[in-house]
Amino acid sequence: MASTKMKIKKSKSGGYEVMVLAKHPMETGLRKDKKTGNKIPEHFIENMEFAVNGEVVAQANLGTGVSKNPLIGVGIPNAKPGDTVTVSWVDNKGESDSAEKAVK
Amino acid sequence: MKKLISLALAAGIALVGVSTVQAISESEIQQDIEAFQGYFLKRFPGLTIEDFQDGVNALPQYAHRRANWELAMEFPPYEPEMEKAAEEWNMPFANGKSLNDCDLAPGHTYPVFDAATGDLRTIVGDINACLKANGEDPIKNVKRAKMARLVAHYRSQFNGERVAIDFSDPGAQALYEKGRQFYWAKRGQLNFSCADCHVHNAGNMVRGDVLSAGLGHGVGFPVWRTKWQVAGKPWGTIHRRYGGCNKQVRAHPFKAQGEEYKALEFYEAVMNTGIPLKVPSQRQ
Amino acid sequence: MKRRIFLKGSLAAGTLAVAAGAGMLTPKSVLAAAWPKAAFESETEADALNAFFGTSDAEESDQVSIKAPLQAENGAVVPVKVMTSLTGVEGIAICAIKNPRPYTTSLRVSDGGGGLYSTRIKMGQTSPVHCYVKAGGKLYMASQEIKVTVGGCGG
Repeated sequence: MASTKMKIKKSKSGGYEVMVLAKHPMETGLRKDKKTGNKIPEHFIENMEFAVNGEVVAQANLGTGVSKNPLIGVGIPNAKPGDTVTVSWVDNKGESDSAEKAVK
Repeated sequence: MKKLISLALAAGIALVGVSTVQAISESEIQQDIEAFQGYFLKRFPGLTIEDFQDGVNALPQYAHRRANWELAMEFPPYEPEMEKAAEEWNMPFANGKSLNDCDLAPGHTYPVFDAATGDLRTIVGDINACLKANGEDPIKNVKRAKMARLVAHYRSQFNGERVAIDFSDPGAQALYEKGRQFYWAKRGQLNFSCADCHVHNAGNMVRGDVLSAGLGHGVGFPVWRTKWQVAGKPWGTIHRRYGGCNKQVRAHPFKAQGEEYKALEFYEAVMNTGIPLKVPSQRQ
Repeated sequence: MKRRIFLKGSLAAGTLAVAAGAGMLTPKSVLAAAWPKAAFESETEADALNAFFGTSDAEESDQVSIKAPLQAENGAVVPVKVMTSLTGVEGIAICAIKNPRPYTTSLRVSDGGGGLYSTRIKMGQTSPVHCYVKAGGKLYMASQEIKVTVGGCGG
């Protein structure tokens, strides 16, 4: 399910900024399940890649220290209106999601 | 109107719905508004009435925390839910109509006094009334989730409109007085009134937090709170917040959409006269 | 005023082999770059920086700026935004010093990327937050303390 949301804004320093809101529990592996008493295993986004017109320009590396439902912002200074920005992420279980938006 | 009230009092006739509360006139309410707003504009020099839209974020005492809110607002966390609410608002009922066809008052005029019933209408109440009238199930949880985002969706369409409450009816004036008395009455084991924190101590610290100003309370509601988000239930209506606040002073919370909180909401809305709506809001 | 900071901490065995900055992206390696496990699992900041940047020798720079609250509203969701006017940015990293594993998150940047990384981190307690930017082959940093307290009246 494409639950990853994207926003592209003009950057004050020129170019654009991409902001991504991903839906993910980002479990640290330290929390215990209240019912069973067992530790909830680690489950977190590892890499999140940002591409402009198919070319990867940045890769964010996330860990369990990143908040649940990660909000990630990255600069894409050379992007121009009409360019396609894609974000795709993979977690430690191999699950993934992506989103795409055009620069206006 | 005024003549009728004084005649009613002279005859010892209790006003509808409020038998023990003194009558208050429209001009007295106007004076209350001026006094209340004047107090906060003086307490926080440099702030305009519009600044109170942003709640505690507008206060200089909150400067060390303001970045939490500014950074959150770069991509408001409630946006995906607001998109969902916009879709839900247009989803057809079994009879083909939708919430779009409901008879709602403008967002900046709530709560609305209904002379026919002698009661206050809130957006929450009106949405459920509309659902029932169209043969749909009303929403049970009136404080959170779906109801909160629907209210946020509706109200946000009036963003920028200045709060304007009609208190010309004596019935409305009586309910205003009931809300005012609630606001200023001490309650709970901690024996605090709303005013103790939000008027007398607005801008001061309570443990690690800064107390918001009473002026502007509700103008940004429904609210998306980080504390509630971390617990998995981010949305809240103003009545959800009232309940939480009452519990914090170790007072028994009242029922959401019950007469106490509706009267309190009415009082606070009247105090907010002239402040532009800014819905929803993101807060701690 | 620029100051050199030499971080104390042991160099993990084998670190010298990756000192050439294997943690960084080159345009061709971008798509294949693996998640920097060694950095995330390091128990000291120095080890983590060496694993990711190939060095822990950083210079404080006012060209690296941090936007973050002085006091977090909630330790589970602390917003931190790192910005830099430096050119040739290769990577950015954020370390919350008092967290059990200080290395919290990083960004690898290639030619089309910029000097901006914004995120929300978890902080267990009040701590300095160190933000690093590798640009033009050198490592720069800026620091800000973020207070984490218990709230007063939550509702």
